[in-house]
Amino acid sequence: MSGYDFETLKVLVADDSRPMRSLIKSFLLGFGVKEMFEAADANEAFAEVKAGEPDIVITDWRMPPTDGLDLVRQIRMDLDSPNPYLPIIMLTGFTELHRVKQARDAGVTAFLAKPISAAALYRRLCTVIDDQRPFVRVGEFFGPDRRAKRRSEPFMGVERRRDAQ
Amino acid sequence: MANRPQKFQPPDRLRQKVRKSGGPAPEQAILRALNAAEDLIDSYQGWAVDDLAALWKAYEETRSASGNPRQILKMFEIAHGIRGEGGSFGFQLISTIGDSLCKFLEGRKKLGRTESEVVKVHILAMRAVFRQNLKGPQPSLERDLRQLLALLRERMG
Repeated sequence: MSGYDFETLKVLVADDSRPMRSLIKSFLLGFGVKEMFEAADANEAFAEVKAGEPDIVITDWRMPPTDGLDLVRQIRMDLDSPNPYLPIIMLTGFTELHRVKQARDAGVTAFLAKPISAAALYRRLCTVIDDQRPFVRVGEFFGPDRRAKRRSEPFMGVERRRDAQ
Repeated sequence: MANRPQKFQPPDRLRQKVRKSGGPAPEQAILRALNAAEDLIDSYQGWAVDDLAALWKAYEETRSASGNPRQILKMFEIAHGIRGEGGSFGFQLISTIGDSLCKFLEGRKKLGRTESEVVKVHILAMRAVFRQNLKGPQPSLERDLRQLLALLRERMG
C-alpha cells in the first residue's frame, strides 16, 4: 500500500520557536517534502509567501510582535498576496473553542493543536490536500466556507485521538 | 445587497500537484518522520533548560515586583511556549504542567504571595519531570497530575 506523494509540495513553516520549526521541518522531510521555507514571525512569513509561493502554510498563532492571525488576514486579503486561496494550517497551544472559532473566522483552512505529533500532522496535510471547500466573501470575511459540512472538510477541533499522540 | 455571500471555487492546485499514491504508506511516512526528528527530540531537554531558567527568572522578578501585568504576561508567554513544545518533543507531562500554569496565569493582573507559590510549584514540577526524565506516554501519572494541579489552582488561586 502506498500513500500521498509529497515530493513536489512546497511548505512554509512559521513559528517563533526555532526548535518547533526544526521539528515540523523534520516531520515534513520524513513525509517526503523536499522544499521548505521557514519564518519566525508574520511579516517574515508573508515575505516568504510572496518570494517562495508555497503550496501550504503551517503557522503558529503567537509569534510576537505579530501573530499568525495577522498572517492569515494578509494572505487572504492583502492586494499583494500571490494566492488568497493558499491552504493554511494553524498550529497552536490555544485550544479553547473561542480560539478555534477566532482562527476559523480569520480564514484558516485547518487547526492543529500543540503539542503536535507526526501522525496528527500527516493526517492534517492529507485532509487539507483533499479539501475542496469553496471560498466565501461576506462582509469582512474571506476564507474557506465555514458552513460546509462535507466529509472531506478538515477537522477544526482539537485532536484528541490516542493514535494522534 | 452588500452582505450577500459570494462563493468562489479555488483552483485545485494541491490535488493536481500531490498524487494520492506513489509515496510511502502512512505508517512508513510517520516512522520516517520520527526517525528524521530523533536527534532533535534528544536535544530538546537542553533547550528546555533555557526556557525553564527564563521562566524562573520571570517568576522571581514578578515576585519581587508584586507581579505587574507585563511581567505576568511574560511568564504566560514562556509557559505557553513550553506547553506547546513539551509534548511535541515527547515530554507530555511538561505540556500538562505548562497548560495548567497557562490556565492559572491567563488574564491575571497581579500575583499575591499565595499565587506566586502556585507558580513556583508548577516550575518545580517541570524541573522534577526533566530530572526524572519522565518521557513518553504516562497516562495515569498525567491524569493524577492534571487533577492535582486543577485542585491547587482552585484552592490557592
